[in-house]
Parts: sequence; structure tokens; C-alpha cells
Amino acid sequence: MDKYSINHFKNGLKFILDSNPCSILNNEIVKPGKGQAFNRVKFKDLITGKILIKTFKSSEFLEGADVMELDLQYLYNDGNSWNFMDLHSFEQYIIDGTIVSGVKGYLVEQDICIVTLWNDNPISITPPNHVILEVFDTDPGLKGDTVGTSAKPATMNTGVVLQVPLFVSIGDKVKVDTRINEYVGRA
Amino acid sequence: MMRNTLINKQLIIQKIREFFRKQEVLEVQTPILQNTSTSDVYIDSISLTINSDIGIQSIQYLHTSPELEMKKLLAQGSGDIYQICQVFRNNEYGEQNFNEFTLLEYYRLGFDIHQLMDDIVNLLQMLGVQDKVYQLSYAQVFSQYANIDILNTDIGSLKIIASKLGLSTDSIWIEDLQMLLFVHLVEPKLKNLPLCFIYDYPKSQSTLAKVRNQVAKRFELYLNGVEVANGYDELQTKDEYQQVFICENNKRKQFSKLISEIDVSFLSKLSKPLPQCTGVAIGINRLLTQIN
Repeated sequence: MDKYSINHFKNGLKFILDSNPCSILNNEIVKPGKGQAFNRVKFKDLITGKILIKTFKSSEFLEGADVMELDLQYLYNDGNSWNFMDLHSFEQYIIDGTIVSGVKGYLVEQDICIVTLWNDNPISITPPNHVILEVFDTDPGLKGDTVGTSAKPATMNTGVVLQVPLFVSIGDKVKVDTRINEYVGRA
Repeated sequence: MMRNTLINKQLIIQKIREFFRKQEVLEVQTPILQNTSTSDVYIDSISLTINSDIGIQSIQYLHTSPELEMKKLLAQGSGDIYQICQVFRNNEYGEQNFNEFTLLEYYRLGFDIHQLMDDIVNLLQMLGVQDKVYQLSYAQVFSQYANIDILNTDIGSLKIIASKLGLSTDSIWIEDLQMLLFVHLVEPKLKNLPLCFIYDYPKSQSTLAKVRNQVAKRFELYLNGVEVANGYDELQTKDEYQQVFICENNKRKQFSKLISEIDVSFLSKLSKPLPQCTGVAIGINRLLTQIN
């Protein structure tokens, strides 16, 4: 894989650090009045999902990472693995449950997700920003009870729990923002 | 819109000139074309090929700062002086660094760095800055923000700290590690302070500043975490300058950088030492961005 000079780091560029693939979020060049140039780089470890900041000397080089992002359609899960398909090549990807675990509650069949591959192996899945989920269980909202509490917990058909307005009842379809796990509206 | 920006900049420059006129600091202009490149280890001159006579070409350099030319004037008895000029530097990258920018450079005779910092505060207040002024020593910020006793930690121990933070330890000189840790641990914290002076640097970072009681008498000004000015209690004798130039050139050699010839025209003007003075370079573009 190519080596990149820190000075050529652009947002979105993928590199290897401590044997994990990382993606640059921000690269700030700092040059003290009488000192050498440094780069304060904010990046995301694509395996752990952690956001980190590190200062590099501008003269340093880092190894690029072979990371690809694909738009894949989620098909179904068979208990152990989750199945996705590339709608252009019809190639199927079988993804292990450990990689899916954090986003399981937002995977809706037929939705297009972003699947990140590193050296051709899936490492993470990003569901669409908004998904439509069905309410599986929630307490019935009491009529007239609009003062004080305006929300109640509801369990979706995918298992995820979120706060919904009192008028939402079992069987309703609701729109959910997957980035912040919040109810957006009735679908 | 465009005209408003120009008017605004003109107003600031007028106010700066007025500030110095009232204090009888003289405005000067010094040559931009230089026969020698800068010896500063981490600053590179832009070179030009000049026809200085028919058929005779010579290499000259754009000044990276008016410092040495202004010190020639000081050595010859100019008294307090200032200059607002464009300066030129090669190999500058990033949002805050440019190949050409405007510097305000000024020297005050008989001032120590604390008097000069106070003078800069007066200048900033006249330009409308009303923020609380923080003055923290280099040792203080390192102890406060990084829990490191920076003046008493040797290069080996700094490498261990850098390595624990996952930073490069590939440095030959202690000042490079000090700066790396400063940029990584301290500078981001300065963003919370609108107006902050850092003073009394480790003697390894003295460059052209005097060393007293184991610290270099120099300071930097940060506005919202952006370095805007760099000031020194200036070295005075020819021997001290010569020593710094030789030392800096040795470092440039290790980086395979252009070695600058020793600036003989400067040293020859120092047969009598410089008067005791402090000087500061203020980046006008950065200043304008931060105060508007």
C-alpha cells in the first residue's frame, strides 16, 4: 500500500495506525514561530469507532489503508450472519454478527446501508440516517395526560428502545434518526 | 463589501501607526532583497535570480522577517523603531501559514519582556480588544495542562512521555520534543483563553533571546489558541549572534537544508553591541482575523 506524507493528508483519507484502519476527519497544520511544522490530526479508528487526536511531525509518513465503502442492500439475517447484496453486481456479502451488533436495531430489510470493507473484509455498517420501524410494544397513552410527561419508551420490532410521543401505539410505523436514536415522526 | 474590508484594514493600520507616533516610535523601511538566506532552522527563504549588472546574475533572497535589517539600525543608534511590511517564506502549508504575509515588527529600548507584553496589551486594547489578559509562564502551562515539569525533564524522559501518547520520539533535539508536546497537550487548551501570553521559555528554545536564570526571556501571544506574536529580550553582542547563526546552520545541515552564509553585513554593524531592547513580530493577518 502507498505511503502518505502527513502534509498530504486530506479529510476522508484512510491510513493504518497501530494496525487498525483509520479515517481522517480533520488535519490542522500548526507551525510554532520558531519550530518545525506539526499536524494535529483528528481521526476515527474504523475498527473501534473511537475518535482520536494525534500530533504528527509534518515530515512523518504513514501507510495508507485499503478501505472501501459500498452501498449494499440488507436482505435478511439467518441467526448468525447478516446478508447484504450489491445491487449493481448482485454480489452477496455475508457479514458476521459481531460487526453488525451496534446497528442491529436499525437494519430494515431492503434498506441500503454503507458497508465499509478493509482489505475486502467488512469492518463496519452504517444504516441510513432515517429508517422506518414498527412499534412492537409500548404502554397505551392516557388521554388528557399532556402535561408533565410528553414521551414514553417504546420497543421497536427490531429490538431497539426509544422515546416516543404519548399518542404512538403498538403497530404504528415511526421514522427514527439512527445517528441519535430519536423519534422523528410518524411514517 | 470588498471596500468595507479594505476600509477596516486601513483603520486598524492607521490606529497602529497612531499608537507608535504617540510613543515616538519611528516607522522605518528596510531592504526586502537580501544577500543571505535566513539561518532560522525551520524557516526557508525564497530565492531569486537577479541581473545585478549586464551579464552578471546573482542569487538573492526575499526577507523572511525584517529583524536583522532593523537591528542594524538599532546598533547604529536609531532608537525605538517599528515596521509594517510583507515578508516571504518558502514551504509554508496550512490554513494559518502563507508564503507571503504582513508583519508588524517593533523594538523598544530599555523594555524587558513584561513591559513589552504590557505595551502589546495597550495596543490591542486600542484596537478594541477587551478580553481578560492571561500571562502564564511556559513551565506553568505545562504543569497545569500536561502535568509535566518541563524545565527539569530531560530528553529521555520526554521521549517516554511522547511514546506513551503514541507520538513520534524520533527527535535529536530536546526542543523538538518540547514543541511536539506543547502542540499536542497545551496549545489545544489555549483555545479557551481569548488573550494569553506564554513567557520564559526553556533555554533550549532561546534562539535570539537572552537566557537569564535558566530560562529564555521570550514570549508568545496567543489569541484564541492561535499564535499571533513572538517577542524577545534581544541578544546584544556580535559574538552571541555569531554563535546562534553557526548553531542554526549546523542544525540545517542535519536536515540537508540550504546552509545560509553567515550574514557578515549584519555582524559588521555590531562592532558596538545592540542597546538593551526587546522586540516583537506580530502577524497582522492573523491579528485581524482574531480581533474582527
